[in-house]
Amino acid sequence: MALNLILLVLLLVAGIWTVLTTRLVRSVVGLALVSAVVSILIFRLNSPLAAAFELSVCAGLISVIFVTTISFTQRLTAERLEERRKERLGKYWYLPVILIIFGILLVVFKPKLDFPLPQVPSEQDTRNIIWHMRHVDLLGQILIILAGVFGVVILFKEPKK
Amino acid sequence: MKPSVLLLPILIPAIFGALMFILPRKARHTVAFLVAGINLALAIALFRNNLIYSFPWFAGKIEFALRLYQFSGFIMLSAAFFAFLIVIYSLNFMKGKNLQNQFYAYILLCIAMANGAVLADNLLLLLFFWEGLLLILFGFIAIGRPGAFKTATKAFIIVGISDLCMMIGIALTWMQAGTLTISKINLALTPMAGFAFIMLMIGAISKAGSMPFHSWIPDAADDAPLPFMAFLPASLEKLLGIYFLTRISLDMFKLAIGSWISILLMAIGAITIILAVMMALVQKDYKRLLSYHAISQVGYMILGIGTCVPVGIVGGLFHMINNALYKSGLFLTGGAVEKQTGTTDLHSLGGLRFKMPITCACFLITAASISGMPPFNGFFSKELIYDAALSRGMIFYLAAVVGSFFTAASFLKLGHAAFFGKERNELKAVKEAPLSLLVPMIVIALTCVIFGIFNYLPLNHFIQPVLGARLEGHSYAGFHVNIVLTLITILVLAGAFIHHIFMAKLKGEGLKAADDIRYAPVLSQTYDLAQKRFFDPYEIGLKGMNVFSRILWAADKGIDWVYNSFVPGVSYGVSKGIRRMHTGYYPVYISWALVGMFAVLYFLRK
Amino acid sequence: MVPLFVLIPFFSIIILNLFPKKLMQHLSFVWLGFLSLAQVYLVAARPVWFWDTKLELWNLLFSFRYSVDVITLVMLLCIGIVVFISLLASRAMISDVHQRVNFKNLLLVSLIGMNATVLVTDVFSLYVFIEITAVSSYIMIAMNKDRLGLEGAFKYLILSAIATVMMLVAISLLLLLTGNTSFEAVGAGLAGAGNSLFVRVSIGLFLCGLFIKSGLVPFHGWLPDAYSAAPAPASILLAGIVTKVSGVYVLMRLAISVFGLTPSVQALLMFIGAVSIIIGAVAALTQTDFKRMLAYSSISQIGYIILGVGCGTKLALIGAVFHLFNHAIFKSLLFVNAASVEKELGTTDMDKMGGLTQRMPVTGITSVIGLLSTAGIPPLSGFWSKFIIIIALWQAGNFGYAAFALLASIITLAYFLSMQRKVFFGKLRSGLENIKESSMGLIVSQAVLAIITLVVGLIFPLVISWR
Repeated sequence: MALNLILLVLLLVAGIWTVLTTRLVRSVVGLALVSAVVSILIFRLNSPLAAAFELSVCAGLISVIFVTTISFTQRLTAERLEERRKERLGKYWYLPVILIIFGILLVVFKPKLDFPLPQVPSEQDTRNIIWHMRHVDLLGQILIILAGVFGVVILFKEPKK
Repeated sequence: MKPSVLLLPILIPAIFGALMFILPRKARHTVAFLVAGINLALAIALFRNNLIYSFPWFAGKIEFALRLYQFSGFIMLSAAFFAFLIVIYSLNFMKGKNLQNQFYAYILLCIAMANGAVLADNLLLLLFFWEGLLLILFGFIAIGRPGAFKTATKAFIIVGISDLCMMIGIALTWMQAGTLTISKINLALTPMAGFAFIMLMIGAISKAGSMPFHSWIPDAADDAPLPFMAFLPASLEKLLGIYFLTRISLDMFKLAIGSWISILLMAIGAITIILAVMMALVQKDYKRLLSYHAISQVGYMILGIGTCVPVGIVGGLFHMINNALYKSGLFLTGGAVEKQTGTTDLHSLGGLRFKMPITCACFLITAASISGMPPFNGFFSKELIYDAALSRGMIFYLAAVVGSFFTAASFLKLGHAAFFGKERNELKAVKEAPLSLLVPMIVIALTCVIFGIFNYLPLNHFIQPVLGARLEGHSYAGFHVNIVLTLITILVLAGAFIHHIFMAKLKGEGLKAADDIRYAPVLSQTYDLAQKRFFDPYEIGLKGMNVFSRILWAADKGIDWVYNSFVPGVSYGVSKGIRRMHTGYYPVYISWALVGMFAVLYFLRK
Repeated sequence: MVPLFVLIPFFSIIILNLFPKKLMQHLSFVWLGFLSLAQVYLVAARPVWFWDTKLELWNLLFSFRYSVDVITLVMLLCIGIVVFISLLASRAMISDVHQRVNFKNLLLVSLIGMNATVLVTDVFSLYVFIEITAVSSYIMIAMNKDRLGLEGAFKYLILSAIATVMMLVAISLLLLLTGNTSFEAVGAGLAGAGNSLFVRVSIGLFLCGLFIKSGLVPFHGWLPDAYSAAPAPASILLAGIVTKVSGVYVLMRLAISVFGLTPSVQALLMFIGAVSIIIGAVAALTQTDFKRMLAYSSISQIGYIILGVGCGTKLALIGAVFHLFNHAIFKSLLFVNAASVEKELGTTDMDKMGGLTQRMPVTGITSVIGLLSTAGIPPLSGFWSKFIIIIALWQAGNFGYAAFALLASIITLAYFLSMQRKVFFGKLRSGLENIKESSMGLIVSQAVLAIITLVVGLIFPLVISWR
C-alpha cells in the first residue's frame, strides 16, 4: 500500500515536471519516468504483459518519436525563454492546487466503494484474448496505426517546392 | 382500380397549382385548362366507384383516410364540372388582368383542396383541407381590385371564426365517438352531442354562406374577380358546405324528425331565405344583387335538409346542384356584361337584349330557374322542399314561398333593368361576348333545362343513391309533385310578375319596380340601417373589438416593449456574454468539461 | 455480408495506395463515390442477398459480431450520404494532388471507423472505433497546417483525450463489474448490480466522455474552433456525421440498450439537452463567422436530439433518430453552402457578405431550405422531427421542456433569419459584383441535400413508417 502511494506521488511529480520544465531533455526524461512508473504500477496490478508493453512502447518508442518531433522545432532566444517560463507558471500554477484539494476532499469524504467485485477469471492468457476473441479490435489497432502513419505523412512532411 | 388513385385528384391540381407561380406567362392558360380537364376526366372516371384508401399519418396516430363513394363522387364530379367551365371562362375573362398566375394557382389549389375535403374520411384531414380552402379564399379575394384586401380580411375572419367552431366541434365529436373516422361515427343526440353538432354545423353552413356568416359575400362581389364569385360562393362552397351538412345530419349524428336541431336548422334556413332575398330585392348592382341570392338560396337547402324527411333532403341536395348551376350561370352572365360594357351598375345598363342576345337568353333561362319557374330545374327542387316544409309546419312553407315571390320579383327587376328597358346611348357599341365566355354559359343554361325537363337524370343517378335505404324505394323523379302546391307556386310567380309590371309602369322604370317595398313604412328604416351594415355581425363584432382593443392598448404597449426591446436586448446581451466566455483558451474549456463532469457525477449520486 | 461495410473500405485503403498517386486520386474518387452510394443503396433498398447472407468461410478467420436495428440503418444511411457529399466537396475545394489523396485516405479511415462504431456490439470495440474516427478527424482538421487549423485540431485532440480517459476508466470499471464488455453482458451485469456508487460513477464517466464527443454544453469548448477551422470538406464530414456517430449515436445506443434509461439518467439527459439548446442558440445569435455560427447551431440541434433521447418514450426516440438524420442532412447542406461561399469569396466572415443570392442562386436558395429546415418551418423535414420530439415531450408530461424546446426554436429562427439577411438577401455588397456560382460538385451536392430535405419533409409519414 505504502509503495503504491509512493509510486502514485512519484507519477504525479514526474507528470507535472514533464509539463512545466523548459528544457527538452528534462521533459523527455520526465515522460520516460511517467511511463516507467505506470508500468511498475501495472506490474504490481498483476498484469506483466501489459507492463512490458507499456515499458517498451511508451517509454521507448513514443519518447523517441516525441524527441525527434520536437527537435525539428526552432530554439527560442534567451529572453523569449524567460518570458515563456513565467507565462507557463502563470498558466499552470493551479493544477497542483486543484489536485491537492481533490485529494483532501477524497480523504475527508471517504466515498465508500461499496461494491463487491466479481472474480475475473485470470486463467485466460492475454495473447489468447487478443488473437482469438478480439478480432475486431485488432482490426481497429491496425487502422489506428494506419491513421497515425497518414498523420505523420500529412503533418510532418514538408511540401516539395 | 387501385385505392391509391384517390390521391391523384388531390395531388395533380395541387402540384400544378403550386407550379403555376413559376410557370411562364404563356403556358399558364394551357396548363390550367389541361389540369381542369384532367380533373374532370378523373372525376368522371372515379364516379360510381367505391374506394377506400388510408395509411397511418402523424406517427401512426391519425389515419390519412380517403373514401370515395356515391356522395363524394357526385360532389367531386360537380365541382370538377364547374371548375372546368370557370377555367374556360377565365381564359378570356382574365386576359390582360393582373396577377393571373395567382388566379389560376388558386383555382387549381382550390380544386385540390375541395377534392381532398370531399374525399377525406377523417375529421382532422377534412379540417386540414377546409382550412386550406380558407386560405385560398383569402388569396382569391385579395387579388381583386385594389381595396380588396379589407374584404379578404373580413371573409377570412368570418370564415376563420366559424372554422374555429368547427374545430371545437371536431374535438367534441372525437371525445364522444372515440374515433375521427367519419364513416365510423354514429352519435345519438345527447345534449353534448347536440352541441358538437351545432359547432360542426356552423362550419358547414358558414362555408355554404348562410346567415349570419354571409356578410362577406356581397362585399366580395364588389371586390373579388368575377370568376371567383361564380366558382366559390356560387357553386363550390355551396357544394362543400351542403355536403358536409348532409354528412353530419345523416351519417354522423342521428338526426330525427322533431328534434330541436331539426327545428333550428329549418329556422336558420327560413330566416336566411327571407332576409337575404329582401336585401337582394333592393340592390342596384348586378353582382351585388346576385350575391344576396347566393345567400338566400342556401336557406332553401338548409331548410330542406333540416326537415329530416326524405323528400326534403332529396330536395335540398337537388337544390344544391341546381343552385350551383344557375347561380354560377348568372354570375357568368354578369361577368359577360361587365366584360363587354365595363360596368355592373344597373343604373347605367339597359336594353342589352339585342346587343347580347345569347347572354340574354342564358340569363333568362337561369333566372327562370332560380325563380322556380316550371319546367326548369329550380322549380322541381323547390317543389320538393315546399312539400317537406309543409309537412313540418306552415310557417316554414310560408317563408319559402314568400322567398320565392321576392326572388322572382328581384330577377324581374334585374332582367328588366339590364337587358330590357330603354337602350342607352353609351352602350351603342357593345357587342356579344366572345365564344369562350359564351360556351360555359350555354352549357350551364342547357344543363338547367335538362335537369328540369329530364329531372330523373340527376335524381336517379346522383342524388337518390346518396340516401339509399332511407328512401324506402320511393323515387321523386318525374312530374308528380303536389298539384295544389304547384298551383300556389305558379300563382305566386304570376303575382310577382304582375306586381313587377304594375310597379314598373307606375315608376316608369324597371329598376324602381321594387321601390314600394324598399320604402314601405317599417322596412324603409330597416333597409337604411342594413345598407349601413348595421346588422352585419362582422361590423358589430368590429365595434365590440374596438372597445376591447382600447382597453388592451396599454397592456399591448407593454407587451410590445417586451417583444421588441426587452427580449432581443436580453438575448443579444447574453449572447455577447457567452461569446466573451469562449476565449479560445483551451484550459478554460477543459475546466468547463471537468466542472461539468463533477456536476454530472453529483447529479447521479442518488 | 454486413461486415463488408467495414472490410471493403479497409482493403480498399491498402489496394488503392498501391497505385501511383496520379492514378490513385481519380481511382479513389470513383471508388469512394461508389462505396458511399452503394452503402446508401444497400440501406435504403435493403436487398435480401446482402443482409441475410452470412460469410461462412470468412467468419472462421475473423469473427465480427454485429447487430442491426433501425438506428443502425439510419446511421449507415447518413454516413453514406455525408461521406459522398464530403467527397464531392473535397474534389472542388482541395486543389493539391497530394492533399487530395491524403484526404481520401483519411476519409476511408473515417468511414471504416464510423461504420464499425455503428455496427459493433461491444463497449471496448466501440471505444476503439471512436478513437479511429477521432484520429482521422484530428488530422483532417490540421491538414492545411495553418495556424487556425492546428489550433482547432489541438483543442479537439486535448478534449477528446480527456473524453477518452473518461470512457476508458468507465469501460474498465464496467469490465470489473461485469467481467465482460459486450452489450448484453454489461447490460445484464448492470441490471443485476443495483445502484451502487461504482455503477453510478462508471455510467456518469462514460456519459461525460460522450458529452464531450458530441459537444454538449458545457463540454463543447472544442467544437466551434474545430468546426470553423477545419478545411471545408472536413468540416462537412465533422459537423454532418462524425460527432453524431461518435457522440450522439453511441450515447443513444448505450442509454437505450446498455445502461437503460433510469429516471436520473433521463433527467440528466433532458437537462443537458435543454441547456445545450438554449446556450447554442443564444451564442449563435451574435456570431459573425458563418461556420462558427453553424457550429453553435449544431450544439443547439444536438441538444434537441438528446432531449428526445432523454424523454425516452417510443415516439421521442423516433423523433430523436429522425432529427439525427435530418440534422446530418441539413447541417451538411449548410456547411456545403459555407464551403461554396468560402471558395468564391475567400472568407467566411458574414460582415463581408451581402446579397449573394443574386450571384449565387443555387447556394442562396438551398441555404434558405437548409436554414428553414433547421429552424423547423413546415413542411421541411426539420419541422416534423422537432414537432415529434415536442409532442413526445408533451405526452410524457414534460410540459416545461416541451414549451422550452418550442421557444428555443423561435430563437433559432431569429438567428438564421438575421444571418440569411446578412449573407444572401438584400443588396449586393459592393466589391462582390464579380462573384460567380461555385463549381459543379458543390452545386450538385447542395441540390441533392436540399431535395432530400424537401422530399423527406413532404413524404414524412412514409419516412416515419420506414424500418
